[in-house]
Amino acid sequence: MSSKHAVIEKNIGLMIALILVIISFGGLVEIVPLFWHKSTTQPLSTLRPYNALEMAGRDIYIREGCHVCHTQMVRPLRAETERYGPYSVASEDVWEHPFLWGSKRTGPDLARVGLRPITEQWHREHLRDPRHVVPESNMPGYPWLQHNTVNWSTMPRTLHVFKNIFGVPYTDEDIAEQLAKIEGEWADATEEDAVIAYLMSLGHARAEQREEAK
Amino acid sequence: MSGFWSGWVIVLVVGNLIFYGLLLLGNSRLTPEEASRDTTGHVFDGIEERNQPMPRWWLFLFIGTLLFSAVYLALYPGLGNFPGLLGWTSAGQWQEEVERAAEQSAPLFREYARIPIEEMRNHPEALAVGGRLFANHCAICHGSDARGARGYPNLTDQDWLYGGTPEDIRTSIAKGRQGTMMPMKALIGNTERDVRDMAIYVQSLSNENMRNNPGYADSIARAEPKFTMCAACHGADGTGNQVIGGPNLTDRIWLHSPRLADIEAIIRNGISSLMPPHEGVLTEEQIHVLTGYVYQLSQPQE
Ligand code: HEC
Ligand code: HEC
Ligand code: HEC
Repeated sequence: MSSKHAVIEKNIGLMIALILVIISFGGLVEIVPLFWHKSTTQPLSTLRPYNALEMAGRDIYIREGCHVCHTQMVRPLRAETERYGPYSVASEDVWEHPFLWGSKRTGPDLARVGLRPITEQWHREHLRDPRHVVPESNMPGYPWLQHNTVNWSTMPRTLHVFKNIFGVPYTDEDIAEQLAKIEGEWADATEEDAVIAYLMSLGHARAEQREEAK
Repeated sequence: MSGFWSGWVIVLVVGNLIFYGLLLLGNSRLTPEEASRDTTGHVFDGIEERNQPMPRWWLFLFIGTLLFSAVYLALYPGLGNFPGLLGWTSAGQWQEEVERAAEQSAPLFREYARIPIEEMRNHPEALAVGGRLFANHCAICHGSDARGARGYPNLTDQDWLYGGTPEDIRTSIAKGRQGTMMPMKALIGNTERDVRDMAIYVQSLSNENMRNNPGYADSIARAEPKFTMCAACHGADGTGNQVIGGPNLTDRIWLHSPRLADIEAIIRNGISSLMPPHEGVLTEEQIHVLTGYVYQLSQPQE
C-alpha cells in the first residue's frame, strides 16, 4: 500500500476530493447531529416569541451593529453568572434568526439585561448619550433613534417568514393581533422605543425556567 | 442524543482514529523495492530527491496525538452519549465553582451582616466588597464615584432626598424609590409668565444675588405666594420633604438641573424618577454591606 500515495500526490484533483472527504468528517460528527438534538431544536419551555415591537427593535439592534460590541452569551463560569445572570443554553436561541451571540465584548453581555433593575428612562438617556449616565463609557450615542419612527412596512412579511420558514409558533391570531397593534398603539413608536422593548425582553425566559425548575 | 446519533458519532470518531493509525503505519514503512533505492525518482532541474523515512520525532508526535485523543475520549464526554470516566460536565463544573465560592463567602457575609452600619467604615474588607457591589449594580446610574448624574442623585453629599440614616438608605436600596411631581403650570396661573416667575423664584431660593437683584423683584413677588402650591412636597420654606422625596430647593444641589429653561420645563410638565428596588436582585446581606458602603461615602473623614 505504501507506494500508493504517489497516485494521490500526482493527481491533484483526487487529492482535493480526498481532503474534502476527510475535512467533512469534522462536520459530520460535530454539526450534523445538532440538527436532531433535542437541546438545540426544542425551545425552552418558557420561551415566548418576540412581539412586533421587540422584533423591530431586534432588527435595529442588528442594523446599528450593537452585536459588534455586545455578546449575548453568558458562559457557564461563575464570574459571568455572578455578573450577568444564568448562563446561556442552546434552547433559548432556537427562534433566533440570526442568533446574536457575538464574539467581542467591548461592552457588557446583554443576554440578561432585561433582568437588571434598569429603568426605561436610563435606557433612553444611555442610548442618546452614554456619557450622560456613564462618564467612562466608550459606547457611541444613537440620538437619531428617538426621532425615527419604526418602519413597519416589512413587519408583516417578517412575522410570516418567522412563522412559516423558521417555524416560530405564531398563530394566525397572534399575527393579526400584532398587525393591529402596529396600526394602533405602536403606529408612531420610535426606533428607540423598539430597541428598549427588545432589550427589556432579554433574559426572562431563562430566568422563569430556572424559577420553575426550583 | 438519540441512540442513532450517539452511534453515528462513536462510529465516525473511532473509525477515524483507526483509519489514521493504519494510514500512518502503512506509510511509515518502505517496501523492500523502495528501500533499495537511494532516491525517490523525482528529478527537478537535474536535482534528485533523496529517499528518506519520516523523521522519528515527527512520527512520534503523530502517534502521540492519536493516543491523546483516545485517552481524552475515555475521560471526557466526546463519544456520543458516553459521559466519560470522569463524569465531567461544564454545568457540573460551574455548579461546583458556585458552591465552593458560596462556602467561602457565606461566613464572610454573615460576619459583615453583624457590623453596624455606622461602623462599617472601620472595616476595609467589607467596604471593598461594598465597592465592588456598587460598581456592578449601582454605578451605571449613580456613577462609579457615586457622584450621580443629571436625574441620578449624588450619594456622597449630605443632601438626601429620602434621608441619610442607615435605615433610610437601606429602604432606598431594598424597596426602591419613586419621586413624582405632577405638572404644576395649571395650578400656578396657567400662563408661561407664571411658569417663568416660579422658575426664577426657585432659582432665587438658593441664590442670594438674585434675591437682592431688583430686576427679579417683580417675578419673585408674583411667584412667592403661589409657592404654597409646592409646599406640601418641597416644604413651606423650600427645604424639601424626605417622606415623598421632594428635593431641597434652597441648597445649590440640583437633582436635575440649575438652568432656568430646565426648571421651567419641570414646573410645566412635571417629572418623575425611579430608583428600582433591589430586593431579590441582591441578598439581605449584600444590601447590608451596600448600605454601609453608601453611608460612609457622605460621612466626614476622621
Ligand atoms: C463601540 C462599542 C459599542 C457599541 C457599538 C454599542 N455599545 Fe452598548 N456598551 C458599550 C460599552 C463599553 C458599555 C459599558 C459602558 C456603558 O454602560 O455605557 C455599554 C453598555 C451598554 C448597556 C448597559 C448594559 C449594562 O448591563 O450595564 C446597554 C443596555 C447597551 N450598551 C446597549 C447597546 C445598544 C442597544 C447598542 C446598539 C444601538 C449598543 N449598546 C452599541 C459599547 C458599545
Ligand atoms: C436605574 C438607575 C438606578 C440604579 C441601578 C440604582 N439607582 Fe439609586 N437611585 C436612582 C434614582 C433615579 C434615584 C432618585 C429617585 C428619586 O428621585 O425619587 C435613586 C436614589 C437612590 C438613593 C436615595 C438617595 C437620596 O438622596 O435619598 C439611594 C441611597 C440609592 N439610590 C442607592 C442606590 C444603590 C446602593 C444602588 C445599587 C444597588 C442604586 N441606587 C442603583 C437610580 C438608580
Ligand atoms: C406632589 C409633590 C410635589 C409638588 C406639589 C411639587 N413638587 Fe417639585 N418635585 C417633587 C419631586 C418628588 C421632585 C423630584 C423629582 C424626581 O425625583 O425626579 C420635584 C422636583 C422639583 C424640581 C427639580 C429639583 C432639582 O433638584 O433638580 C423643581 C425645580 C421643582 N420640583 C419645583 C417645584 C415647584 C416650583 C413646585 C410648585 C409650583 C413644585 N415643585 C411642586 C414633588 C413635588
